[in-house]
Amino acid sequence: MSEVLLLVETKEGLLDKKTLELIRGGSELAKDLGVGVSAIAVGSETGALAESIASYGLKKIYRLEHPLLKGFMPDVWVGALEWLCKQIVPKVFLFSHSFIGKEVAPRLAFRLNTDLTTDCIGLKVDPQDGLLIRTKPIYGGNAIAALKCAGLPQIVTVRKNAFEPVEPVQGRSDIIQMVPDLNEAMIKVQSLKTVPEQIVELDKANVVIAGGRGISEKEDLEMLKALAKAMSKSYGNVMLGCSRPVVDKCWLSSDHQVGLTGSMIAPDTYIAVGISGAIQHLVGMIRSKKIIAINTDPGCNMFKVADYGVLEDYKAFIPALVKKLEE
Amino acid sequence: MQEMNIIVCAKQIPDPEAPFSNVSVNVEKKEVLVDAPDVISPYDENALEAAIRIKEEMGGKITVLSMGRKVADTVLRKTIAAGADSLILLEDPAFERLESRSTAYVLACAIKKIGAYDLILTGRQAGDWDSGQVGLILAEILGIPCISLARSVKIKDGKVLVEKTIPVGYEAVQAGLPALVTVSNEVGELRYVARTKMLGLLKRPMTIPKWGTKDLIDNVEKLSKLQLVEMATPPDMRRACLFIEGSTPQEKAGKLAAVFKELG
Amino acid sequence: MTPERAFFWKIEGVWLFYTVAFLAVALFLIGVGAYLYVWLKSTPKHKITFSRQALKQTLLDTFLGLRVFKGDLSAGIMHSSLFWGFVILFIGTCLLMIHEYLYSFLKGKSHLLFEVSMEIGGLILLAGIIWALIRRYIQRVARLERRLEDGLVPFWLLTVVLSGFALEALRLVLQKPAWGHWSFAGAWAAGLFTDSLAASAYPYLWWGHALLSLGFIAVIPFTKLFHMVGGPAALFLHHSENGSKEAALLSEEQNDAWNMGEVVFFDACMRCGRCAQACPSTGAGEPFTPRDFIQATRKALWQKHSPKGDIRLLTHDREIDRLAAWYCTTCAACLEVCPIYGAAFKFTAKKRTALIIEGKEVPDLLNQTLERLFNYENPWVSSKRERAAWAKGLDVPALSPGGEGAPLCYFVGCTTSFDARAQGIAKSFSAILKRSGVRFGILGEKEPCCGDLPRVVGETGLFQEKMENCGILFEKNHIEEVVTSSPHCFHTFLNEYAGKAFRVRHYVSVLKELIADGRLQLKMPMKFFVTYHDPCYLGRHNRIFDEPREIIRAIPDIQLVEMAHHGSDSLCCGAGGGRMWQGNELHGEARMSEIRIREAHATGAEILITACPLCLIMLEDALKTLGLEKKLRIMDLNELVLEALE
Repeated sequence: MSEVLLLVETKEGLLDKKTLELIRGGSELAKDLGVGVSAIAVGSETGALAESIASYGLKKIYRLEHPLLKGFMPDVWVGALEWLCKQIVPKVFLFSHSFIGKEVAPRLAFRLNTDLTTDCIGLKVDPQDGLLIRTKPIYGGNAIAALKCAGLPQIVTVRKNAFEPVEPVQGRSDIIQMVPDLNEAMIKVQSLKTVPEQIVELDKANVVIAGGRGISEKEDLEMLKALAKAMSKSYGNVMLGCSRPVVDKCWLSSDHQVGLTGSMIAPDTYIAVGISGAIQHLVGMIRSKKIIAINTDPGCNMFKVADYGVLEDYKAFIPALVKKLEE
Repeated sequence: MQEMNIIVCAKQIPDPEAPFSNVSVNVEKKEVLVDAPDVISPYDENALEAAIRIKEEMGGKITVLSMGRKVADTVLRKTIAAGADSLILLEDPAFERLESRSTAYVLACAIKKIGAYDLILTGRQAGDWDSGQVGLILAEILGIPCISLARSVKIKDGKVLVEKTIPVGYEAVQAGLPALVTVSNEVGELRYVARTKMLGLLKRPMTIPKWGTKDLIDNVEKLSKLQLVEMATPPDMRRACLFIEGSTPQEKAGKLAAVFKELG
Repeated sequence: MTPERAFFWKIEGVWLFYTVAFLAVALFLIGVGAYLYVWLKSTPKHKITFSRQALKQTLLDTFLGLRVFKGDLSAGIMHSSLFWGFVILFIGTCLLMIHEYLYSFLKGKSHLLFEVSMEIGGLILLAGIIWALIRRYIQRVARLERRLEDGLVPFWLLTVVLSGFALEALRLVLQKPAWGHWSFAGAWAAGLFTDSLAASAYPYLWWGHALLSLGFIAVIPFTKLFHMVGGPAALFLHHSENGSKEAALLSEEQNDAWNMGEVVFFDACMRCGRCAQACPSTGAGEPFTPRDFIQATRKALWQKHSPKGDIRLLTHDREIDRLAAWYCTTCAACLEVCPIYGAAFKFTAKKRTALIIEGKEVPDLLNQTLERLFNYENPWVSSKRERAAWAKGLDVPALSPGGEGAPLCYFVGCTTSFDARAQGIAKSFSAILKRSGVRFGILGEKEPCCGDLPRVVGETGLFQEKMENCGILFEKNHIEEVVTSSPHCFHTFLNEYAGKAFRVRHYVSVLKELIADGRLQLKMPMKFFVTYHDPCYLGRHNRIFDEPREIIRAIPDIQLVEMAHHGSDSLCCGAGGGRMWQGNELHGEARMSEIRIREAHATGAEILITACPLCLIMLEDALKTLGLEKKLRIMDLNELVLEALE
């Protein structure tokens, strides 16, 4: 049955927003190809997960269940998806460019004798041959490449925010349970232990408030934290970031750093406080949806790439902003 | 403790840390032009560092493989200067701009030609295309265990022990040898290679085997090139900045808060 | 009866004395021999040139001890007392031995003179010891340590002197010579003892004093007292190397191997701590002091080359930080104050060279910076194409040879070319040169890196390459006259480039010349209180202190005030030695640049002037982090001069 397939993912036990983005992308491709779009939920207990996407207009939801699929062991997940693809023979298979996608997709593509393109920011169907035109940034974003690959299924991983998430619709998708043919011998890598760590994952933030060289005292970071708190009420996940000088001063740990030698993020809103906008920093946040710069130097680079600018001393402005937001 | 036979796959690419103004796109030729020297892909350097540390601890041999249309041994000799034992270049116009699967296939042929090995280390993704596939596919072709995103690599009792980065923190895993591990920067920066060391090495005559399609591939048709439809420049980074007006910080703050509400 | 000293008066078993003396001297010589062994073994090539000039300088430094007085009058007087007291007593003892064994001349008036001199010598020595103990234990001077050795040594010497005087007192009580009052101190002390006490105590005290004194001589090589031998040796080697071209070339070849002067210096260092007091890194609470680095290096050298390990008995050195060698900013404050010309920055440089070759202990950011420098001809994240971007729209001429005389090549430098703030230097200086009608030009995109950064962080191979490339480029462009923005480029070209065919100056020299011959007229009054920060590589390294001040004072109405540390004891901004490109692994309790800004602020000055792009950037940053932007303005000397031209 030729269809567009996509892998459902979870985040902290709940449906990951990226899956909804994939559904949008998959639906558009499916329309162009004249086929349906279905999803796969993988795990040892996938009932709840399948339910959570049952109202998004998917043709089918495959519940790929097996005790060995508990947690995430790449060897068995690849084996399970390989089994499924050989059963279903999809036309297109979409993954998020996520931890799971990056691990599973290349190996699955190989086993299915097809070529994968990772980190796509755009997908289109070439009407002439029905192949996907995959658009992805290369050379750190200095160029955008569009390419095609032969082979079925057409398989890609898709960058976060490449598509808008879908809204729920009327109707329910069919949920089909499938038990893949797996065995323990497939597991070549044994997991010994999992250690959770407190990591600041800036790419998870909706809003990042970043301080730079212009912040004169470590204590002033409290002001930015207060702003983060005030904003987190209505603007999603708000995190504190910074440019390199703040990390060099040991005011914040390096996982807060945005830039060439830090994180490359694209939050909805990036508020740069006292950051001049050296190119090494810009690289890390230039793709933010909206950039707001707060600085006392009218000629600084940050104002050139910002959507909104505030020519004001942060020491006076930030507390005022916090007050206004709290109202 | 047994001695380790390690293969490191290192890609030669234009410096990914070249200043932005040095990178341009030739839309007609569908090429990216980087006015910068070639370097070893940064994560591959991390892989080499991991290999050298294992060699320092347990003894062994490190063979570096590099593949491309033209592979400069002046760039790759750095791996020897840092601590690798031998270098094999896979050079052929047919090796240029291949799909990841084909790249992995060529590497696998070379590795089969080399013979026995205990561990293959490579970077998690190349600094130019950042696909992140070749290592994983290579493991599949060779039929060996595959561990990605390693932040530390150790050998113990004939097994490879890896701490790999996962979304919530890290996971300790192990696999039997031979195995393939793709490495991330947390394993450590490649130790510095002093210029005097490098120059000394460049002056020394070295036999560096160069293998092309005739040495490795029976059927060149097996290799599939990237089908580029288009190569475009990224959009201009500049935005039209709207300055928030106001006579007091409070006034400006109020306006900005309103902007936030509007953005949603 | 003619006044004469009775030898071994009332002492039996003199053979024992000679035995002990022999053993003491033997131990002393064995100890010194051990040093010679280690020095020779640890220096692969040594060539010591004997010159009268070097000898003269050594004698002056040793006997006048002016460097000990420098900056610390109290220490100078204390040490001179110790020194001269010891010397007088030593000479006296030698004369006594000559008198006893060779030719008796200390009779009559000679003897009396002898006795008085010895009294004076002893008292001077005693005063010196007491003063030393007061400084160390009561005044608790910060740079002086209070380890066991530091107390034991002066205390031991004190017991030698006191027992000497007491012994003399007892002898005078028992002997009652007619001339006894000439030994006035002993004579006074004699009043404290009864005849019977003196009789019973005398032999014990005699042997006691003998053992203490001989023991003192024996332990010299095993304690920091060795500086008595090592110091003059180190001084001589320093003065020899200073004058010798051969030695300079030899030390160039040796890269990371120590030379004789350095190895002797390590052993001569007696931990006075002036370097620690002067060092800006130490002052900022960083885990680095020159003293600790030197002593750790000394210890490591002994552990490596001496079969019995370290000869010093009571060292208990602090372990130094793993990254210690990277902290030094090469500011040369240590060299300025060390009584035996110790330059800690030269030792850290050698250690860095070794670390670079080894590769593993090179901090990540420096690793990346050096790679960038190699690839892009600058340590900043900038493209070579942007090198002359600062000159856009300013109509700055490109260097073109030909015509009358050689044009002045304005060598802008990496930092001045690429850093937004530092570009102000280039803009101002080029404007000044144009206004003065000077025929000059810039190399633009072709301008290479002078190689100073690799040089100071131990990447000698990369420095050599840069030096060669620069030399070739300058030759190709027929460059004869160079002026630099940065004192670092200036210093490297002037002092580190071998066999160059061009003359190089720092811009202050050019400004001074232009003012002197009237091409630059500073007419605009600037009624400001200003202060001037001496960059390390202009000031201490190249002794250019006055010219910048003369230039500032040439501006009408300007008032120059000096910071607490100025001129030769200027405080480093913290960027030198590659620190500008080191990350947050190297940090202390404070920032050197912030300490300096506070000093500037404390003068009440409105403008802080400097003459180095690195200082400019560091001080501007510190100004921001301290929140003093409204209180103080920082300007490069060129920017100030340009304003005075308007």
